[in-house]
Amino acid sequence: MNIVGIAACTSGIAHTYIAKEKLIRAAKELGHTVHIETQGTIGTEDKLMEIDIKEADIVIIAADINVGGKERFKGKKVINVPTNTVIKSPKALLKKIQTDLGL
Amino acid sequence: MDLAKVIKKETIKLEMEATTKDEALRELVELLYENDKISDKEAFLEDVYYRESLGTTGIGNYIAIPHGKSKFVNKTSLALGRTKNGIEWETLDGLPVRFIILFAVTDEDKTSVHVRLLAKVASTLGDDDACAKLLVAKTNEEILNVFSVFEEN
Repeated sequence: MNIVGIAACTSGIAHTYIAKEKLIRAAKELGHTVHIETQGTIGTEDKLMEIDIKEADIVIIAADINVGGKERFKGKKVINVPTNTVIKSPKALLKKIQTDLGL
Repeated sequence: MDLAKVIKKETIKLEMEATTKDEALRELVELLYENDKISDKEAFLEDVYYRESLGTTGIGNYIAIPHGKSKFVNKTSLALGRTKNGIEWETLDGLPVRFIILFAVTDEDKTSVHVRLLAKVASTLGDDDACAKLLVAKTNEEILNVFSVFEEN
């Protein structure tokens, strides 16, 4: 799968970055392509490229707060989960998404 | 980036005495206070507990990351500690906690290099192998090494 996503947490200091790392590691292990943007205290980092969004099969928003720039995903399949879900069981989430999408 | 700016050997304690979550938080707060990283222990602790009230800081793998963004922080820093036995904590995997990283962040620190460094530290914790190493490291240097090796890669 081609995955893009956003990670963002309440204080924007820690969970955001753990979630991003977990998602990327799990996705790579499962053979997916992945780009994750973080929206934290230090602002937006690793901003998603238009081309990556265009080619994405799924958008994963792992956030405990409202994230910015959702309009970029118009027409895309978007899944919203709390950061805890991707920190706790990133592989299970990706496998479920893959099954649900039939990819 | 220079992780040594936020993680000091002096604020790592591999043989904590705490047997409860409250004791663990107090022990690490004390460590920050002794090293002039915070100005008021009780007030800072209150800010840490405020963050605890917002959601789980036990991220699994026996690790917890309590944090306080607080005006009682003099300098954005981390205190790291390891307990002998598992401590009861709200965790994502239901396991107890043995390694605690307390994030102390100044109120003003929004974009500084320090907060960027904290993000690096947090990223490291997204690596299960790095988490496992923190549980067995024998010295403070080995702990620092877990984070700096990850950063280099």
